[in-house]
Amino acid sequence: MPRLLLIDAKWEGEIKLTKKLKAHLKKTKPKSIDLFASVQFSNIKEFLNDLKKLKIKVNMQKVKRTDKPLQILGCDCYPDSFEKKLTSDMILYIGDGMFHPKALILAIDKPITIFDPISDQIKVVGRKDMERELNRKKANLKKYLIANKIGILVTIKPGQQYFLAAKKLKENLEKENKKAYIFIDDTLNPMNYENYPFIECWVNTACPRIGTDDIININQPMINLRDALDPGRAFVELEK
Amino acid sequence: MYELELQQLISEIKKQKAKQVLIQLPDGMKHKADQVADAVEEQTSAKAFLWLGSCYGACDLPLGMDILNIDLVVQWGHNRFNKEMW
Repeated sequence: MPRLLLIDAKWEGEIKLTKKLKAHLKKTKPKSIDLFASVQFSNIKEFLNDLKKLKIKVNMQKVKRTDKPLQILGCDCYPDSFEKKLTSDMILYIGDGMFHPKALILAIDKPITIFDPISDQIKVVGRKDMERELNRKKANLKKYLIANKIGILVTIKPGQQYFLAAKKLKENLEKENKKAYIFIDDTLNPMNYENYPFIECWVNTACPRIGTDDIININQPMINLRDALDPGRAFVELEK
Repeated sequence: MYELELQQLISEIKKQKAKQVLIQLPDGMKHKADQVADAVEEQTSAKAFLWLGSCYGACDLPLGMDILNIDLVVQWGHNRFNKEMW
């Protein structure tokens, strides 16, 4: 096996409390902030000092999958992905793009404020921005419960490989007199699903964002492993 | 816009005495792949190779590199994570 080197690729600019963000905070008046960022935007010493001057309490949130506070990953998309409950007046994400904020939207039904230091843009997003995905997720869960032939997708990528859990799920489904087939691939490609029309519902065991963001682009229903193991909890979490 | 941190890369390649290095960049940095490959081949004795496909996270590493005798895989934009166990 080759050795591995991971490079953060930090943003070259300086993360500061800009006039625009200051005005937004003045308008929304949060007393406390749950703070997140992607690894590129985690040099925030000056930003934290500026928030302190505004007497805003900052809760540096930590997700279970990383060792560094502040950082969020795309797979931290469930209510229990965080070490502490998100109870501050504002959830603030520093970074560009929607991939990480969408993880927060999926995890919690609260407004998420995004501050993009590159464009100095502020945007508030929430569940309404993922309505299609969330409605489809709910519908797919119902279809999973009544499906008799289930396809379980397993990737061989080590960081996302859950072969044992897939085999366990197959056993559980067979105890319920359902048919389950395990499909193995490297990168899961939606084009391949359609070659198996007998599958009534897919269970994705790889990156959980495949079973959330991508489900609006495929015809067959798909849910994530975690939701397949406990569909009752999945329904409850959709209301959180 | 994002730091390539080439000095860290070069010193790591030299330290590890890597001979064949695979460069894996996220989509937003792929346009700089030539700069990285050039730096590797000009500043070290290693050969640089580029991963064409996805780079969604540290969970998305190229497989089968040992078949090609790649001895170092370098991925930008992500860091270590704790895999959830089921």
